[in-house]
Amino acid sequence: MKDFISLKVMDRLRSVFETLGCDYRVMRQIVQVKLTMDRRRVPTILQGTARKKNRPESEDKNSFVPSLLLYAFMGLLTVPFVLMNQNYMLQMSVTFGILMFLIMSSMVADFSSVLLDVRDRVIISTKPVNRRTMSFARTIHIMIYLFLLTGSLAGAPLLAALFAHGIVFFLAFLLEIMLMDIFILVVTALLYLLILNFFDGERLKDIINYVQIALSIAITVGYQMIGRSFYVIRLHIVFHTAWWQAVVPPFWFGSTFEWIMRGHASPLLILFSTLALIVPIISFAAYIQLMPAFERKLQKLSSNEAMGGMRKRAWLQAVSRIICRSNEERAFFGFTSVMMAREREFKLRVYPSLGFAMVFPFIFIFNSAWSNGLKDLASSRWYLSIYLSALMIPSVVMTLKYSAQYKAAWVYRTAPVQSIAAIFKGTIKAFLARLFLPIYLVESIVFVATFGIRVIPDLVVACLSMLLYAVICFQFTRKSLPFSEPFQVIEQSQKYVGLLLLLLIGVFAAIHFVFTLIPFGVYIYLFLLVLLNGAVWAAGVGFRSEKLLYDPTPQLYPVRRGE
Amino acid sequence: MNAADDAVISIRNLKMLYGDKLVLKGINLDVRRGQIIGYIGPNGAGKSTTIKAMLGLASGYMGEIRIFGRDISDGNVEYKRRIGYVPETAEIYDALTAREYLTFIGCLYGMDEVQADRKARALMRTFDLEAVYDARLASYSKGMRQRVLLISSLLHNPDILFLDEPLSGLDANSVMVVKDILVRLAAQGKTIFYSSHIMDVVEKVSNRIILLDSGQIVADGSFEELQERLNEKSLEDIFNQITGFHEHKDIAEKFVSIVQEV
Repeated sequence: MKDFISLKVMDRLRSVFETLGCDYRVMRQIVQVKLTMDRRRVPTILQGTARKKNRPESEDKNSFVPSLLLYAFMGLLTVPFVLMNQNYMLQMSVTFGILMFLIMSSMVADFSSVLLDVRDRVIISTKPVNRRTMSFARTIHIMIYLFLLTGSLAGAPLLAALFAHGIVFFLAFLLEIMLMDIFILVVTALLYLLILNFFDGERLKDIINYVQIALSIAITVGYQMIGRSFYVIRLHIVFHTAWWQAVVPPFWFGSTFEWIMRGHASPLLILFSTLALIVPIISFAAYIQLMPAFERKLQKLSSNEAMGGMRKRAWLQAVSRIICRSNEERAFFGFTSVMMAREREFKLRVYPSLGFAMVFPFIFIFNSAWSNGLKDLASSRWYLSIYLSALMIPSVVMTLKYSAQYKAAWVYRTAPVQSIAAIFKGTIKAFLARLFLPIYLVESIVFVATFGIRVIPDLVVACLSMLLYAVICFQFTRKSLPFSEPFQVIEQSQKYVGLLLLLLIGVFAAIHFVFTLIPFGVYIYLFLLVLLNGAVWAAGVGFRSEKLLYDPTPQLYPVRRGE
Repeated sequence: MNAADDAVISIRNLKMLYGDKLVLKGINLDVRRGQIIGYIGPNGAGKSTTIKAMLGLASGYMGEIRIFGRDISDGNVEYKRRIGYVPETAEIYDALTAREYLTFIGCLYGMDEVQADRKARALMRTFDLEAVYDARLASYSKGMRQRVLLISSLLHNPDILFLDEPLSGLDANSVMVVKDILVRLAAQGKTIFYSSHIMDVVEKVSNRIILLDSGQIVADGSFEELQERLNEKSLEDIFNQITGFHEHKDIAEKFVSIVQEV
């Protein structure tokens, strides 16, 4: 185990901890173990980028430091707001808003597993470790994490503040950031307490999962916005302080700058600034009071009372009866449907791309409407931008072979599966029916509302093309049984395939465009697509790869020592 | 020395509420040095709760628990220094290597880091696990982890051992080794609380059997005593008779008949 710098810093305060009644040697050990385990986790922000396949796990492969660099980069997003020399109240409130969102969601996304580690009870509490030492260790651990996270996020804006507005501004900023951290810590813990009060651990994990998904979407969007955000410096915005802002914490922190640096001593600004100081302190006191209750509630995490989920999904069965031909196919349709809805790791990887697929077509339409006006839009061919929603297909098709519980895939081999084509067909159909089509339907409704009912045949054509496209995606990516491999980064070769497949969707759109130039061309194309889809889906062309099932060199049980 | 002084563990009228359900309904128990106690009972009888209460994991019990003669309810955790524990759930920090995990646990028990490392390695060697001493626990098989857990519970040479299904996942040869280890430890005066559902092992290992049913002790004595008193051959039969379970044939028959439906 490494001797972390943070531990060495802590060593200097040893006597302080000891006077507070804490067994320093033991506490240091616990924190060291916790930090070591942190270094071996892949943070959400790096999901899908780090970790090369088959690379031997080095003693302390650190995915934590790269994630901090990425956070530092995200911190640039707030720099323009700090720099714009206008209404301090507004610009600093926005800065704090962004910082709070990023810190809090990262806390929830990556630190929950640490904060909520139920193993601590069995492993540590059964040893002669007194309660005070344990809660010190936990608090120190969280503080180190928060310090590193905040340090990298707020580094750039703090420097910008120092150079643009001077030392007083800088110090006020620093102090408020610390208060903000305390506030975030307490709010997160109280949030968990509240959720655990009403739900069980599984539900909490689901909620954490959705925060992770939101964070990865926000990171991707934020990444795109960093360059553009600098335009705000030139903007002139009129902003008024109002009572309602008292319920939005970032405004508390922003108000101080307007009051102290600009000398606007309005009662509201003073009130907000007082809140910024007092609320974190009071909530921290409350937090210390509630810590024992929190520890008790943690027991609930390991329990699973929820008996739900066994509701008969009659409509789902009806759908599978219609679109699946054999029992095998139907079984895999149902299985994939449930896995897609429940497996958190899968959702974390796939749901963000579903979100983007949903938004991309509209971004294009808005851009065109912005420059050409709404009138022309209705009669244009911009509806072809719906092809952009197919962008999710390759990534989902490639992800369907991964699972956190890939080892359970032994059932495929021990069960007498007749046809592997049925497995793949059932799986792909489940994805199309459960994830793709609902999104496509929603988009279509908006498209019909925008472009008129004349585009309905085109939307049907686009839909049929995408069903075909899904099969092509499946054909050209490396095939493996569904949910049978551990999650890992997509291999290099697969990345190029993925890129080609993205181009292919452009080809589909282009063909569609050509047909729209011919009279009744759309209907001709529609007819052709129906035939092609029939050949592929009914006859099962393109789904045959029986050898996978009997392949004696399986990817099923990769030996991953030291993982 | 009188009987009360000799008791390593002494429990008086232990009761425990879970919600509004009484899961322990007044347990009285004295355990002496060198005893291997087979602590058995149906699922939900309160076995784990008793062990957790003794380890200070369950707050809010009523009654008195004395370990090494001291009441443990005052929050002083020093007594845990002389206790070893293998949890049923086999919880372990599997991101760590065996070396890291075992030295960590040793340090929690107040051992010196170097000493804990040396001793852990030596114990791993006897279990044929030295080659994977620096591999992460996540890559271990179930049996390997179980052996690491056993080592972690004995590293600090405790006087009381709480073992909850300690043999799960171990092969027959390892089981023989562990059984012999337990007997030797008891001969040295250590007290072992052995909780399991596998009756044949309990029958052979323990020199005192305590049977718990719905929060109460319903039988307490050596295997031979219970055999004689209840006129049954095996511990399994004793268990069935006391817990009033006789319909196993009916249930099995029903089960098989459903299997045959297809």
